[in-house]
Amino acid sequence: MNEPRRNWNWLAGSQFFGTISALPFILLMLFGFVVPLLCVAWFGLMPAKSFSLLHAPSLQNYAFIFSQTYVKSMAWSTGLALATVVILLVLCYPLAFGLAKVFKGGATFVTYAIASSLFVSENIRLFGWVIGLMKKGVVTGTLGTFGIEMNSLLYNVPVIVLGMVYVYLPFMLFPLALGIKMVPDQVREAAFDLGASRWHVFRHVDLPLSMPGILIGSVLVFVLSIGAIAEAKILGGQSIVTIAADIETEFTYGQNWPLGSALSTLLVGVTMVLVFAVLNRIDMEKFLGRAPRES
Amino acid sequence: MSDLVNSEQSGATQRPATSILEVAGVSKRFGKFTAVNNVSFEIKDGEFFTLVGPSGSGKTTMLRMLVGMDTPTEGDIMLRNQRVNDLPPNQRPTCMVFQSLALFPHMTVGHNVEFPLMVRGQSESDRRTRAWELLKLLHLDPNRYYNKNVMQCSGGERQRVALARALAYDPEILFFDEPLSAIDARLRKVLQKELKDIQRDTKKTFCYVTHSLEEAMVMSDRVAILRGGVIEQIGTPSDIYASPKNAFVAEFMGEVNLLDVIGLGGYEAEWVMGYTKHRVRLPVVLGPGESRKLLIRPESLRFVTPGVVTDNIFPAQVLNEFLLGSRKQYHVEVEEGHPLTVERLREEGVSGPTVQLGWDVADSQLLES
Repeated sequence: MNEPRRNWNWLAGSQFFGTISALPFILLMLFGFVVPLLCVAWFGLMPAKSFSLLHAPSLQNYAFIFSQTYVKSMAWSTGLALATVVILLVLCYPLAFGLAKVFKGGATFVTYAIASSLFVSENIRLFGWVIGLMKKGVVTGTLGTFGIEMNSLLYNVPVIVLGMVYVYLPFMLFPLALGIKMVPDQVREAAFDLGASRWHVFRHVDLPLSMPGILIGSVLVFVLSIGAIAEAKILGGQSIVTIAADIETEFTYGQNWPLGSALSTLLVGVTMVLVFAVLNRIDMEKFLGRAPRES
Repeated sequence: MSDLVNSEQSGATQRPATSILEVAGVSKRFGKFTAVNNVSFEIKDGEFFTLVGPSGSGKTTMLRMLVGMDTPTEGDIMLRNQRVNDLPPNQRPTCMVFQSLALFPHMTVGHNVEFPLMVRGQSESDRRTRAWELLKLLHLDPNRYYNKNVMQCSGGERQRVALARALAYDPEILFFDEPLSAIDARLRKVLQKELKDIQRDTKKTFCYVTHSLEEAMVMSDRVAILRGGVIEQIGTPSDIYASPKNAFVAEFMGEVNLLDVIGLGGYEAEWVMGYTKHRVRLPVVLGPGESRKLLIRPESLRFVTPGVVTDNIFPAQVLNEFLLGSRKQYHVEVEEGHPLTVERLREEGVSGPTVQLGWDVADSQLLES
């Protein structure tokens, strides 16, 4: 009993060891994420156009925001994000189903083909679209030689949505495919066997059992696209202003950091409420960790 | 094939029922591999029919064709005289209990059972009433189980939920794909008897698939034994037990002694064990040089006391003895390296390490190997 401990094994099981191991990550998150975020939130309470954190806090920036057209840019951003999510859900579900259940060996090829689009910077890809769609560009220019005269296809809302759908497709597709993979084949077969039509199987088996994938894909795309700026600027030109563009303007040309911070805080708040509402509904551990539980 | 038809008719005499499902010359090929080869049989209305075979015998492929998840390459499946080869499972009046049970993990016990009624568009109150009836029938107290999450149920409870869900579909034939194989032995025995009771009470036609002939024998009215995609024998459990068609069927039934014998003409043969040979008497005539297996059940072998006359008698060494409740099992050798199994009443006992082993000719059967 009185023998001294000869090894460090006791450390491996202790909570102390766990804390030590997590320390680098904790510090990184603290100084890289939490502190800057708190600074931004605090800056949002400072008087307009000030560059110090030491003034008395007030809500005047927020009052200003709601008296101006920022609500409109917020609505545009939310609307574009929602449209992107809905279009991607409809577009990706069949493809994800194919990846998870039908393509077998071909699924790897499709996965690489889609993932490879992520290897090229988003801005470069969007400028490629501009060349394709601008006046006398690839599309209208080609049509022009056949005598069909067209104006530029750029600088409108549909082309912005199209760009966002294109850019965020992988972020919807892969979580969806993972979610659909979790639906056990025999459960689908059993539903068919019990007289269910294809629609019934989709509605009562596929959809609820792949819901974690649907929710995670939707949240991911929503969060990415509500803060999107490049699509609206590059493809949309001056047609609309998104909230992210507003924030950028305030921090740069506007030189109004407190207003930019207040807008950022608002955006983070809206996003967080939405994401937590959704993530509360799913068992993340089950989705990311274990194999599908066969019933 | 004529043999099959004969044994099937002898089975039919016990149950004068009409045929509900007829399988006529069905084959299934995957590329060059033939999983099921020209199989024919019929299932009678209201019987408990079992397809049994080792893994790779084609029983699961056969089952998938019967429920409509696969289509036969050749032959016809007739359900109540209607060809159903290409009818998808959701349009067939049959349904299956899966090996994995395939319960809907996101639904309560009640909603699982109600699923087939829901897709049929029945009203909520009708569905609920039926689900309660079925849960009661399967000894699951509806008050406790109706709203329980199906994933929180134990293995045995899930079996019952799966069966209740299949019964809710009200199928003409209920198929089972080894649903009891993952259950521990004691509970399995209970569930086997329950399944038989439910089959009798509901008067449904059950078609069960298993790799365990023992399980098949306990529950079934008739059994079909498959090997390599072909039916080896089909008949009532007692028919099969009493007269197995060949050594494969005999061995598949459990522990039996199969002696390699070569005919000497007449009722005499040589029992071959490696390089040594012993002369044995046969129940039937065997031509000279013909090779067969002589089946002797463990309970038919006896330890012969001096002065008693038997047809065959050999000195043997006792290797081991095992107590099986009221009976005792012995492993004995007439020649080294060729053990035989003997089963006697517990009280009988053996006199010593060396015994006289004997059997009556009438208790032995000559089988094709």
